[in-house]
Amino acid sequence: MEEKIITKENLIKLSTDLVNEGFNVIAPSEKGYTLLQTDPLLSLSDSQPLPKSPFKGYLFPKTEPLFYYKKGQHDYEFVDVNLQNVKNIFLAAKPCDAASVNILSKVFNWDYKDEFFDIRADNSLVISMACSTSDEYCFCTSVGLSPVSTKGADLFMIPLAGDKYAIRIVTDKGKSFAEKYSKYFSDGNSVESEKVLAGIKAPEQSFDTAKVKDWLDKNFESEFWNGIAATCLACGQCAFSCPVCHCFDIVDEDYSYKEGRRMKNWDACQFGLFTEHASGHNPRDNQAKRYRQRISHKFKYYKDKFDEVLCTGCGRCTRGCPVSIDIKEIVTEINNLN
Amino acid sequence: MENIYKPYLMEIKEIIEETSDTTTFRLAFKDGSIGEKFDFKAGQFAEYSVFGEGECTFCIASSPTRKEFIECSFKKAGKVTTALDRLNVGDTIGFRGPYGNYFPVDEMKGSNVVFISGGIGLAPVRCVIDNVLDLRADFKDITIIYGARSVDDLVYKDKLEDWKKMPDVKTIVTVDPGGETPEWKGEIGFVPAIVEKAAPKAENTYAVVCGPPIMIKYTIPVLLKLGFDEKKIVTTLENRMKCGLGKCGRCNVGNVYVCKDGPVFTYEQMKELPQEY
Repeated sequence: MEEKIITKENLIKLSTDLVNEGFNVIAPSEKGYTLLQTDPLLSLSDSQPLPKSPFKGYLFPKTEPLFYYKKGQHDYEFVDVNLQNVKNIFLAAKPCDAASVNILSKVFNWDYKDEFFDIRADNSLVISMACSTSDEYCFCTSVGLSPVSTKGADLFMIPLAGDKYAIRIVTDKGKSFAEKYSKYFSDGNSVESEKVLAGIKAPEQSFDTAKVKDWLDKNFESEFWNGIAATCLACGQCAFSCPVCHCFDIVDEDYSYKEGRRMKNWDACQFGLFTEHASGHNPRDNQAKRYRQRISHKFKYYKDKFDEVLCTGCGRCTRGCPVSIDIKEIVTEINNLN
Repeated sequence: MENIYKPYLMEIKEIIEETSDTTTFRLAFKDGSIGEKFDFKAGQFAEYSVFGEGECTFCIASSPTRKEFIECSFKKAGKVTTALDRLNVGDTIGFRGPYGNYFPVDEMKGSNVVFISGGIGLAPVRCVIDNVLDLRADFKDITIIYGARSVDDLVYKDKLEDWKKMPDVKTIVTVDPGGETPEWKGEIGFVPAIVEKAAPKAENTYAVVCGPPIMIKYTIPVLLKLGFDEKKIVTTLENRMKCGLGKCGRCNVGNVYVCKDGPVFTYEQMKELPQEY
């Protein structure tokens, strides 16, 4: 893989240029993935822990208008949403978040193309950084990723000694970016960066997704689910903090009986009303069935349909769970049931 | 940008009050050029919307062989169907579709067909009945068995009368015990019992079955007992949907998306599905 070097000083200059050119430069901070316009790059740290929320919301917002409608003189008129000006650069993104882009792209494109996601994803550049901050909740290595995975990244940063970074070019998009801003880069070789990568501690692998799927294939009905779901409060935190959960609702917001907008909002399979029919019938009428859906969607259905595990092992669902439901523990248990 | 969530506009041309809570709309595209190009197959569904209230999902009830309009029937149940119910002739609604798979009408040619439905389940079946009747010569014996809770709950009453008058169609209409009126001349009994009594012959026959889950549950064993082929018992699944496009993540039954892989399933496929519908 082609490798370049950028000094921290040049990285700051490059980011300033990008901001001036109208890009949203988004980097991890204590608050989450935040815009550099509001958080100066000087705070960019090589040992920034995993942000509380992923950057998914920049590609697939919590709430977004699909179109605006207005009752005109004769009939309803639509006003479209323009996304062409949204240009995001995710800088120093965590590898577990970078991986989400390719995974999400599958569901948004497998048949009908959801351009609300596609335009944002096409206009984005992902520069991920080798992660040295994994903790006891992380399990990227169990889902086929690692702290040094380049999946989903266009460029991959490796912090080197002496306030500089090795930049590996992963995609063509990354290559043209490096060419466009070549004045900030110098040529590098992988000797030093390989040493840094070799020194990064990865979380231990806890389960094998093939074995997990094997159990899920055979155990739709199982007592196992009742035990797990007993404490779940159905708050949906796990889905909203997940880099790859993508369920949504479509609702109208009316301003004045004459105009309004149709919205696409995040939704979660843990909510009781998620699958409830207007008749009152609910195919997933208790939390055990809803938790089974969550785990099965991630480790079986998505794999069946798109050959991807719908999980990047970031562990946010566990970190944020108010009743300490631990996905790594649960999936490891499923692994061991086999 | 290509917006898969943006609906077409349709005008309500006619409203038919089927029962106290079920209504049929006859709809035409506001933009005639879309209407000319619009094509669908029997069994497909759409997202209908009232602006300001939202979208809801139901099948296209008219036959694809009748192009001048689209019909849909809905029961007033939730927020959007209640809003639809308040609309008048000349009002505009949103329409996205057609989505999903369809009934194997081509495959059914050359066979006998038995249509079995209950309540508003006649809506998805009706589009196949009309489709088949418009191509009558391609099919052998046609039997229609339809039931509702009471005489007042029977939908498409005019259609039922038309079908009864057809010499080459056997039509049996029934109401649940207690749902009859003194003037009622049809059958009295639950749909599965009436199917058993009518005992349509199973050889070279397709059964199209739609209705409340409880009706389907008790009708299928009757059909199997009569010797029907599992591959030739065809039904539809209904699950809550939002997008209809295989993305929003709620209509799945196991790894099957009702909106994309369905809504039409054969009993052979359905019995392999987990109990999640």
